Amino acid sequence: MRDESPIPLVFKVVAGLALLVLLLPLAIVVLAGLNAGDYLTFPPQGLSLRWVKAFLSSPVFLSAYFYSFLLALAATAISTVIGTLAALYLARSGSRAAAFLRGYFMLPIVLPGVVLGLSLYVFFTTTDIGLARTFTGLLICHVLVTSPFVIATVTASLVGFDVSLEEAARSLGASPWTAFRKVTLRIIAPGISAGCIFAFIVSFGQFETTLFLSVPNREPLPMAMYISLRYKFEPTAAAAGIFAIALVVISTIITSRLVSLRRVFRA
Amino acid sequence: MKNWIKGVAPTRRGFLKGSAGALALGSGVNLFNINHAFSQDVVYDGTVFDAGGATLRIAEWGGFWEEIIRKELLDQFEKDFNCKIAYESSFPWFPKFVAGGPQKPPFAVVNWNYGEMFKTAAAGDFFVPLDEVLANLPNAKLIWPFATENGVGVTWSYSRYCYAYRIDLVDPKPADFKTFWEEKFAGKRGTYITSNGLQMDFFIAACKLFGKDQYDLEAGYEAMRKAMPMKISDFTGNMQALLERGEVELAVQHDAEVYQQMDKGVKVAPMLWEEVKPILTQTKTVSRYIEPTEKKLAYALINRTLETKLQSVMGSTFYQRPVNRDVVITENLASKGVTNTADAIAGYWTPDWKSYNEHEEDIVETVNGIFAG
Repeated sequence: MRDESPIPLVFKVVAGLALLVLLLPLAIVVLAGLNAGDYLTFPPQGLSLRWVKAFLSSPVFLSAYFYSFLLALAATAISTVIGTLAALYLARSGSRAAAFLRGYFMLPIVLPGVVLGLSLYVFFTTTDIGLARTFTGLLICHVLVTSPFVIATVTASLVGFDVSLEEAARSLGASPWTAFRKVTLRIIAPGISAGCIFAFIVSFGQFETTLFLSVPNREPLPMAMYISLRYKFEPTAAAAGIFAIALVVISTIITSRLVSLRRVFRA
Repeated sequence: MKNWIKGVAPTRRGFLKGSAGALALGSGVNLFNINHAFSQDVVYDGTVFDAGGATLRIAEWGGFWEEIIRKELLDQFEKDFNCKIAYESSFPWFPKFVAGGPQKPPFAVVNWNYGEMFKTAAAGDFFVPLDEVLANLPNAKLIWPFATENGVGVTWSYSRYCYAYRIDLVDPKPADFKTFWEEKFAGKRGTYITSNGLQMDFFIAACKLFGKDQYDLEAGYEAMRKAMPMKISDFTGNMQALLERGEVELAVQHDAEVYQQMDKGVKVAPMLWEEVKPILTQTKTVSRYIEPTEKKLAYALINRTLETKLQSVMGSTFYQRPVNRDVVITENLASKGVTNTADAIAGYWTPDWKSYNEHEEDIVETVNGIFAG
């Protein structure tokens, strides 16, 4: 027996259309990557693994792919820690500064990426602090862009959080760290997990800021794809897109499985 | 105020320093150079030297271009000169130069197309004067004069602007520049977005051929209006796809890309503009304020790009034309009628990019409006 009220047909149709609009570009990328023709066109001129093989044998694309992966991984790890701490502060502080900081932390995603990238590049160059066009400089930029997503999701998971649970743990002898680790962290884990996924996806696909801050001899995947389209317009870029989509999907599944496992352990 | 005056109370040493500075200013000497390593003379005589592991920062196109340049030029260069190449392909370069200012150039050697190179040159004292560069390039004596007539950098490779047309769909073949505007090509002709160098050159040529001269912007705007409807593409690669599918029958192109398509079996051919002969150049500059070793490496690298070996590779791989007079045209280009003679290079035309850049905002806004319909 189901208690849920029936969903009106019109809602289902609209939801179905929305899903189609979201999935259609992905289908186009996949089909374009499997194109047998010489150019990135749609509909494809026959299906073939030609460009997938070209991607797998291209030193430029493969190194760009793994470079982007490592960059996104590092950015995600750092922004998850920073974002979670910031969210905890924002959720628990009643000061006026917290209200101001809530908006301030969101600035990197409010600003156009090109503006942020150029501003950072000018800052790094004029201050001469050795970060212009270095991996550290690029990583800082990615952390700036990805942290707001972690802050937003963790803050959401802290809404309605019952602080008395943590206080109860403390009253039973748990240290602050233990209480945080065993109570708070477990409750907000889904929020952190969602933030992680967002951070990884945003960093992996980051193009605008990377345009100004990319490192010599190293191209992240979005740059490599752009350059390929600019000069050759081959479907290798779309084939790279297939692997990028696959990576994001796999990361999402792994992350959600990890959170589920945590729930199992907690149970 | 009193303290400030007190602070600069005249002393003999201060007077001498001040006088020297004033003299230097008066004689046009850039004070930045005084006692700075950058002011040291760098002389390159064409021989291989040990750079002691120094890094040479270069900016050049990415993708397959980078693969070939590394394989055919840079890998051996690093070994020969004991140096490291820091290669950047994240175009555009202009904002990166302007952001740091002339004294902090992001790259030592940059490969440009004309438009952005002239814009950067106009924005500050970024580049070593061309005479000084040429004095350090022994191979410069081997290149055609047009390669240095731009006054800013050394052109080392180029192709010619043209129309690409479908030989099976366009009959008779295009006769001249103005064929593009014939009614039968409505909706089947193609050009590029305003930020693309090919569209810039096409626009300036239209100004010159439809108006009084290349500065007649109104004539250019009117030509763009009359060319509508047409397909507007982002990149030449995209235009190649449109031509292959027959969605575009006549398009603005440069001949290197047309020859590539021809050898892939696509039914296209170039119609080289003869009324004006602009060229799409690969031009290198050397940044002015860089350390002496890097500057010497910069000269060595450009000198090597002018050698016949690399110029031939550019021909056989990218269908690019050489600037070195001694280069024997590779078969893939020779079969298309390309030659490397004084007659063949006569009359090449460089638009007034300084003027274009000064009016760029107006041109972009107006032409974008026309393209948007």
